Amino acid sequence: MNVEIILFFVFSVCTLVGASLVVFANNPLTSAMSLVATFFFLAAIYVLLYAHAIAALQVMVYAGAVMVLFLLVIMLLPLQNTPLPLRPSPARWVGALSTASVLGALIYASLQWQKSLETLTPTTQTTTMSQETLMRFGNLEEIGLSIYTKWLFPFEALSLLLLAAILGAVVIAKARI
Amino acid sequence: MSASPSLASSMLSTMPASTASLPSFSLLEFQPLLPAAILAVTAMLLMLSEAFSVSKSRSYQAILAAVASVVAGFLAFQNTQLPVGLILDGRGVMDGFSSWITLIACFAAGMSSLLAFGFFRQRNAERGEFYGLLLFSAAGMSLLAVSNEFITLFVNLELMSLATYALAAFWRRSSRSVEAGFKYFILGAFASAILIYGVALLYGATGTTQLDMLHHQLPKALEDTPWLTWPGLILVLAGLSFKIAAVPLHMWTPDVYEGAPTPVTALMSAGIKAAAFVALVRVVLHVGDSSVVFLHLLSFLAAITMVVGNLLAIAQRNVKRMLAYSSIAHAGYILIGVAALFTANHLGNDVGVLSATNVANPTAETLRPMALQGILFYLLSYAITVVGAFGVLAAIEKREDDGAADAWDLNKLSGLATRRPGWALAMALFMFSMGGIPSTIGFLGKLYLFKAGISAGLIGLSVLGVLASAAGMYYYLRVIVYMYMKPSPETEMGARHWSTEFVLAASAVAVVLLGLLPGPLLDWLRQAALFAPN
Repeated sequence: MNVEIILFFVFSVCTLVGASLVVFANNPLTSAMSLVATFFFLAAIYVLLYAHAIAALQVMVYAGAVMVLFLLVIMLLPLQNTPLPLRPSPARWVGALSTASVLGALIYASLQWQKSLETLTPTTQTTTMSQETLMRFGNLEEIGLSIYTKWLFPFEALSLLLLAAILGAVVIAKARI
Repeated sequence: MSASPSLASSMLSTMPASTASLPSFSLLEFQPLLPAAILAVTAMLLMLSEAFSVSKSRSYQAILAAVASVVAGFLAFQNTQLPVGLILDGRGVMDGFSSWITLIACFAAGMSSLLAFGFFRQRNAERGEFYGLLLFSAAGMSLLAVSNEFITLFVNLELMSLATYALAAFWRRSSRSVEAGFKYFILGAFASAILIYGVALLYGATGTTQLDMLHHQLPKALEDTPWLTWPGLILVLAGLSFKIAAVPLHMWTPDVYEGAPTPVTALMSAGIKAAAFVALVRVVLHVGDSSVVFLHLLSFLAAITMVVGNLLAIAQRNVKRMLAYSSIAHAGYILIGVAALFTANHLGNDVGVLSATNVANPTAETLRPMALQGILFYLLSYAITVVGAFGVLAAIEKREDDGAADAWDLNKLSGLATRRPGWALAMALFMFSMGGIPSTIGFLGKLYLFKAGISAGLIGLSVLGVLASAAGMYYYLRVIVYMYMKPSPETEMGARHWSTEFVLAASAVAVVLLGLLPGPLLDWLRQAALFAPN
């Protein structure tokens, strides 16, 4: 067991704890701050995956900008510390059951995947990359190159999407029409 | 000057190795995107017009939006003649199918902007942002039609959807409109999340997000990693089924269609439906051959969507809700055509009444163009008809009724034939066309779709479709009974506007004309369907 694996487990346990706190905390501020923690540990996992640029963006955009907005909204809302009633209802049971089954399916799938990776012969393991490609994989230069060449079409469509989203938000937030 | 080539080559050599693989896109590859570009640029102009406009009058906005749609539609029609192939490094595809869907999107956008002209003018709510969002939505539909890769498909689907969420909630004076926008947004975001989750799982299983490569990787992936591939495929199909409003995921449709301003409802039922179907067809064309499960799944979806949509529509007294449920039923009919795309490779797999029987020994080569032509013709005929039907509703809607519980009750239509004979005649034509009465375009749409279903051997499903549309005649004819046989109430009619009248007249003429003389249109569509890539 090397350092990477140990770090991965540390970070993933922290991510899960943070995510659970977001859901179960009574105080909305606790929830929001746990979300910040979750984002940070997620960024750390991205670093382990050699995706440094994504990790930096994760911290800057999500843990930074998005969370500031979250906190601003929480500040503006008149919130009491009343815990939400967790009454069992048919809808809740259906939700809990389907969530549990999706979780179970995903855990099963990842265990199977692990097993199949072990049985694969080295020749079929096409995903192994050289150390050099791995180092270049997540850096900004590579991302920029692929965005402006291979992924040009969706990237430009994304700018239209953002513009439409801004326009839509302005329309919704405007004085009554 | 002689130094420049060596300078260029020395610059090249110092650049990173990956720069050498810069793709060179030809101008031809951007041509399928041209309609969307026109729509998007006009949308930006309309957006800016609100900021910089000095004149009080906003009449030019709707006209500008309609003109842009006509220009984009004309370009899309020219694009149907382009050679077939992948564009932009495989992210997009250029074929007749996508160009025709773009044409339908432009038609829907142009018609609904004209409907909105009269509708919002009467309510003193004209805004450039509305037409801007409308054109952004149409641009999204058009780009969705050319997408050949999951990330691209997702981004363009979101462009279309986000603009439409805002459009549904645009008319904030009405609490129903806000409710519709909110419901559509929450459920639509949920469906998008499901779709992209499925895409992530499929990427994990096959290592690609490009549809044509997925086509080759999928059989191996289904064998090696079925517990990863199957959930991925199911989630992708579930996300797309939400957008076409197939039955287990149709719950949002009646509320959103009813609450949204009527011109927006026209856009949603004509344009979004066609664009969502092109995404579904593209995805299933590439994954459908890998397993017989898809045939069964699509047949089952088609059956319950037709039956449930029609049964729920019968119970409605609210005409707008009734049309919403009927649009679910129409999605079910089109799903027969989608299922017919795959029967050739899966004949003889018996699953009871929904199984495919071998009638005419069809091959994929003969069956696919037939089914694709049926789907395209049906989408076109439904778009023309439904724009007109919602146009009549928009025309009779009065300002005082906004937000009233009985705003679209059947009683509002009673005696329409004596008060507005032209509108009543047009509405009767649209109802005939939706029900599938001969000499209207809706009849031909059903004819070609069910013909494809029968040729594919989906006998049980096609019979069910015919029975379901016969049941549907009940609620379409009920509208005509109210218009022609009920006494007219004493209340005043709403104001008239030339653009609304134009939409009604144009759709009514198209319904009859294309219903009687479909020849050239059918030839074009056959050509488009023949060359759609597998």
